[in-house]
Amino acid sequence: MGTSVQVTPLCGVYNENPLSYLVSVDGFNFLIDCGWNDLFDTSLLEPLSRVASTIDAVLLSHPDTLHLGALPYAMKQLGLSAPVYATEPVHRLGLLTMYDQFLSRKQVSDFDLFTLDDIDNAFQNVIRLTYSQNYHLPGKGEGIVIAPHVAGHMLGGSIWRITKDGEDVIYAVDYNHRKERHLNGTVLQSFVRPAVLITDAYHALYTNQTARQQRDKEFLDTISKHLEVGGNVLLPVDTAGRVLELLLILEQHWSQRGFSFPIYFLTYVSSSTIDYVKSFLEWMSDSISKSFETSRDNAFLLRHVTLLINKTDLDNAPPGPKVVLASMGSLEAGFARDIFVEWANDPRNLVLFTETGQFGTLARMLQSSPPPKFVKVTMSKRVPLAGEELIAYEEEQNRLKREEALRASLVKEEEIKASHGSDDNSSEPMVIDTKTTHDAVGSHGPAYKDILIDGFVPPSSSVAPMFPFFDNACEWDEFGEVINPDDYVIKDEDMDRGAMHTGGDVDGRLDEATASLMLDTRPSKVISNELIVTVSCSLVKMDYEGRSDGRSIKSMIAHVSPLKLVLVHAIAEATEHLKQHCLNNICPHVYAPQIEETVDVTSDLCAYKVQLSEKLMSNVIFKKLGDSEVAWVDSEVGKTESDMRSLQPMAGAASPHKPVLVGDLKIADFKQFLSSKGVQVEFAGGGALRCGEYVTLRKVGPTGQKGGASGPQQILIEGPLCEDYYKIRDYLYSQFYLL
Amino acid sequence: MASSSTSLKRREQPTTRDGDQLIVTPLGAGSEVGRSCVYMSFRGKNILFDCGIHPAYSGMAALPYFDEIDPSTIDVLLITHFHIDHAASLPYFLEKTTFNGRVFMTHATKAIYKLLLTDYVKVSKVSVEDMLFDEQDINKSMDKIEVIDFHQTVEVNGIKFWCYTAGHVLGAAMFMVDIAGVRILYTGDYSREEDRHLRAAELPQFSPDICIIESTSGVQLHQSRHIREKRFTDVIHSTVAQGGRVLIPAFALGRAQELLLILDEYWANHPDLNNIPIYYASPLAKKCMAVYQTYILSMNDRIRNQFANSNPFVFKHILPLNSIDDFSDVGPCVVMATPGGLQSGLSRQLFDSWCSDKKNACIIPGYMVEGTLAKTIINEPKEVTLMNGLTAPLNMQVHYISFSAHADYAQTSTFLKELMPPNIILVHGEANEMMRLKQKLFTEFPDGNTRIMTPKNCESVEMYFNSEKLAKTIGRLAEKTPDVGDSVSGILVKKGFTYQIMAPDELHVFSQLSTATVTQRITIPFAGAFGVIKHRLEKIFESVESSTDEESGLPALKVHERVTVKQESEKHISLQWSSDPISDMVSDSIVALVLNISREVPKIVVEEEDAVKSEEENGKKVEKVIYALLVSLFGDVKLGENGKLVIRVDGNVAQLDKESGEVESEHSGLKERIRVAFERIRSAVKPIPLSASS
Repeated sequence: MGTSVQVTPLCGVYNENPLSYLVSVDGFNFLIDCGWNDLFDTSLLEPLSRVASTIDAVLLSHPDTLHLGALPYAMKQLGLSAPVYATEPVHRLGLLTMYDQFLSRKQVSDFDLFTLDDIDNAFQNVIRLTYSQNYHLPGKGEGIVIAPHVAGHMLGGSIWRITKDGEDVIYAVDYNHRKERHLNGTVLQSFVRPAVLITDAYHALYTNQTARQQRDKEFLDTISKHLEVGGNVLLPVDTAGRVLELLLILEQHWSQRGFSFPIYFLTYVSSSTIDYVKSFLEWMSDSISKSFETSRDNAFLLRHVTLLINKTDLDNAPPGPKVVLASMGSLEAGFARDIFVEWANDPRNLVLFTETGQFGTLARMLQSSPPPKFVKVTMSKRVPLAGEELIAYEEEQNRLKREEALRASLVKEEEIKASHGSDDNSSEPMVIDTKTTHDAVGSHGPAYKDILIDGFVPPSSSVAPMFPFFDNACEWDEFGEVINPDDYVIKDEDMDRGAMHTGGDVDGRLDEATASLMLDTRPSKVISNELIVTVSCSLVKMDYEGRSDGRSIKSMIAHVSPLKLVLVHAIAEATEHLKQHCLNNICPHVYAPQIEETVDVTSDLCAYKVQLSEKLMSNVIFKKLGDSEVAWVDSEVGKTESDMRSLQPMAGAASPHKPVLVGDLKIADFKQFLSSKGVQVEFAGGGALRCGEYVTLRKVGPTGQKGGASGPQQILIEGPLCEDYYKIRDYLYSQFYLL
Repeated sequence: MASSSTSLKRREQPTTRDGDQLIVTPLGAGSEVGRSCVYMSFRGKNILFDCGIHPAYSGMAALPYFDEIDPSTIDVLLITHFHIDHAASLPYFLEKTTFNGRVFMTHATKAIYKLLLTDYVKVSKVSVEDMLFDEQDINKSMDKIEVIDFHQTVEVNGIKFWCYTAGHVLGAAMFMVDIAGVRILYTGDYSREEDRHLRAAELPQFSPDICIIESTSGVQLHQSRHIREKRFTDVIHSTVAQGGRVLIPAFALGRAQELLLILDEYWANHPDLNNIPIYYASPLAKKCMAVYQTYILSMNDRIRNQFANSNPFVFKHILPLNSIDDFSDVGPCVVMATPGGLQSGLSRQLFDSWCSDKKNACIIPGYMVEGTLAKTIINEPKEVTLMNGLTAPLNMQVHYISFSAHADYAQTSTFLKELMPPNIILVHGEANEMMRLKQKLFTEFPDGNTRIMTPKNCESVEMYFNSEKLAKTIGRLAEKTPDVGDSVSGILVKKGFTYQIMAPDELHVFSQLSTATVTQRITIPFAGAFGVIKHRLEKIFESVESSTDEESGLPALKVHERVTVKQESEKHISLQWSSDPISDMVSDSIVALVLNISREVPKIVVEEEDAVKSEEENGKKVEKVIYALLVSLFGDVKLGENGKLVIRVDGNVAQLDKESGEVESEHSGLKERIRVAFERIRSAVKPIPLSASS
């Protein structure tokens, strides 16, 4: 039997919720994607919390909240501790996305689901892979090879291929087959006949994708129209994903048209984002890396875009029409929300959505048609405490500190008591041993200090105060004291480190504002007020999601033609639609499991390995057909020295087998071939081909099948007994290999 | 068919032997340094590693020995790094030869390759008349070069390869190639020591079967990096303190960046030196900075951390110098200039004007190729020849402080010990150094399982890999795992170097191939009675079943269970069958028979007599043919007693039973050959086996 494969969705099936799926391959549990939404709804993570501790590896596919947002929380709170695998950009941009999420939240609420440290910790141990890197999993996953492949959609975005024993499980969500400015199209179509394909039906019902040029034109026209009448344009964007494409479009357009309207890119991490993106050229489209190779033009050296990391800079910017790209795309938090509230009531302004907002967010509400006239928005901000509140806060803090100190001193006393207790056995009190081992000093250090600080408070027990004494329990042997050689190793001063340690830590790479926010420990509180915002600005939505549309998805799946297909991440109608389509046209095993419903997609493929003996192979004559070579073998099973099955030539005569014609005849190609041979040929009705005067040739049997899933072809050639008949038959035979 | 396949087989025997032979031939860098180019061939796949130029020669003489190979057969060309001696003959090879395979290098290598070679063309214009290529060739070659990222696995014609970080210079890679399970590691130039901006070479995850490794440093051991750096800065400090000038001839890219990082840091720590200018006389320098800034992912963590704050490649104390005309030689200064070998250009101009003053110093910062002036002055000759042909005394101090990021002996031996490759091929080293290294390595691997080879240019190393061919039987065929002695028959599909065996009707399921059935229907004019046909058919064929067609109610016949003969109308009959050679033959004979009936009805009896006679004749003919074919194959074939054929080949005797096909012989190889040959002869002369019709 084949490799056992089970798929259990943890989140994101039959709706547009974040993605998170458990894929178990021969008992090795992969968590593929670990997404959260912009609302940070912890109830979404319940299924994950139930399995988090059993997960052996996490694979991330895109650097946005929907694909990796829950990682810090899961690592901190749910007991997820598996190694994480991602591409370098997904790691880096994902980290920045999470920083941005956190800082946006922290600014306006007492956000406590995770902290910056949790984010750093979660991303610290990400194992970074490059595209098409076949990574052999160690330990429990022995024998499993994982590899990310180009997905498009976002920088570093990956399709994951998990291979065990030659069987592929492919996870491909949010891919884009189209080439974009900064990204190459996906390579999904290069995988053929995997055992399992897990893919999304997100866009299955979305079909009228406009051509890129036209869409770009509309996009830019809309923006410039509003700018020219003096309006501002707000593009709510994600932190480091699709925004890159938008930046390039604007940048390119601005240099072509020579616009002078300023463009601002405003997130808490915008400058870091662009700095890193500049060094990710090898992950981008061929044209970008080519232009760098030949002329060293880095596409992300943005000349027209100003990077801002706090809103004050935007407020201080010269007045006049401007374009602002700000996060979050959902308008649930971040600068985009503030700006929206400010700009919404001016009819000259434009809010341009470039992707469908997450379900249940302000952005989604505004995208409904007709757009709402008013929206109720809760605006919160963090203000420093002042006056009585401040005093109350300080008192509270002091009280806490005192309590803490009290508790600490109690604990210490207990400890001291304990150490005294151990001292009782000692026959030489008050001897201060200067040779205490490092270890002892290390563990007793704090206690020592506390005594000095606390003074000689008489302990509650009756033991008289004394200097702490630590028993030097050293062992002796015939050579003297037994030592631990490690204690005496002169710490390698390591000039490298000394000389090299100049930079800050790489993960803590934050912008100044961020740093100030982090360091700002001034007492503050969050105040919220509800506003009714009149939406008089224009609201436009355009598709810059960078996902393949319904038709491409179908043809892509048909091309890949997996043996088994699992559909996830789409509303029920889309899932059902794609399921039916695939059942009818592509493969008989289509699954669309519910949350926490485990589907077993173990392939019922039987297989075993044999060795091909030299003797057998020397008698096999291969015939070349495309990239493969085929031959018929008749063999007998034997054993090799290493007790492996091996195929030997038949001892007796092989029993004759039914001859097989191998090849793929395309009627249109064959027509061309015949006419090149001087045969008069034309299409007759019903897909038949009339060759010469009398002979007709047609494909019979079930038609209309696409992809490689079709059965054997049936070809019928008929005609009267004549020379032409035999000639055409010979030509027909020449298209096949007879085995 | 049968005879052609037997003759094919005779030719195939040696080719399968060839198929397992792996050949490695250095076309350059075999017992020398420079023009790296190593050719490798295995199982019909040909790979070329690197494509360099010898810096000490010019024109065609500097090229590797490309005429040893047929460039059009090369599948893949892999370039490890951008140095002239590894990449510079690439434009020539791509544009001026019949090569039409694919070329791969890393992103950083490709970006610098163009800059470096464009510069190379400009510089060598001065001295070389016979240009190997021009700027246009370089630009054209850029379109053909494909990029590969570290660890990314690429497959071309069944050759799988990926690369590891090699240290040495930015973007330098070691390539691991996997052909049919045999792995070959080509290190190119590598260094296992992390330096200011580069990572150390990685240790590959898998042990290769063959390791083609550089041996530049031979058995030398490098001084520790800090001592080297201290010597370097001390020499510079003391020279400029005494009012002297320091010349550092260096390659434009690679080590120069490392030295600049050292100098910039030293100057920053010594404010007293700040009035002494450091020039970096390479117009390339500025252009390359963008490359160094961009590919920080290829560098080490130290640089990546620094990059977070400011770009470490924006030097504060180093001034660019475009040509000697912009240079006012007024006092102490430090100049780093290209080319590294002092062959010509700015570094040579400065050398010529400074070499006779003993206050000045020249620091050779890395490995120098034999035949260059820089190599010559390391031995401190009394006099040197200037560019204008005059001789001048060499008074300036010459220091050789190697910063070349080549693995030294300690690194090489630990690297090899960890990999434990059964075959080691040393390239890229001077013959003497290489021999010493080989001797010393032999002592490290005393168990004798390791072969160490040092081929010279164009000398082939041959190895045999009898790699097992493994196939996977899948689908219906594999429902039951067979025991010894069971037979397995199916279609063997080979893709790249993987084999699968499957049932024919599952071909379309497991591969992209599909099968087809061709149904043929042919109508023949026939006016006679259908019964006649039946009668005649029964006389010839063993199995003729009559039935009636369900639709039309007309009589039909099924011959040999293959061909259906139907009466279509009064004047026509039709034949329908599904194509395969036997059915085609049966149908042809039916057609002939039907045509004969309509023409020559009265001759039936005569024909029958003929048939009997011809059967006997046929029997004799068959024997003759078999005999003749056996003679043509084995030579000495005689009719022995009891009707068996006695075949003698090279003193081995075999007896063949013509009826059963059984062979008796002491020699199993001969027995097997005769058996197969006879099987094929028999299937050629008696194509329709009796069992097929039953």
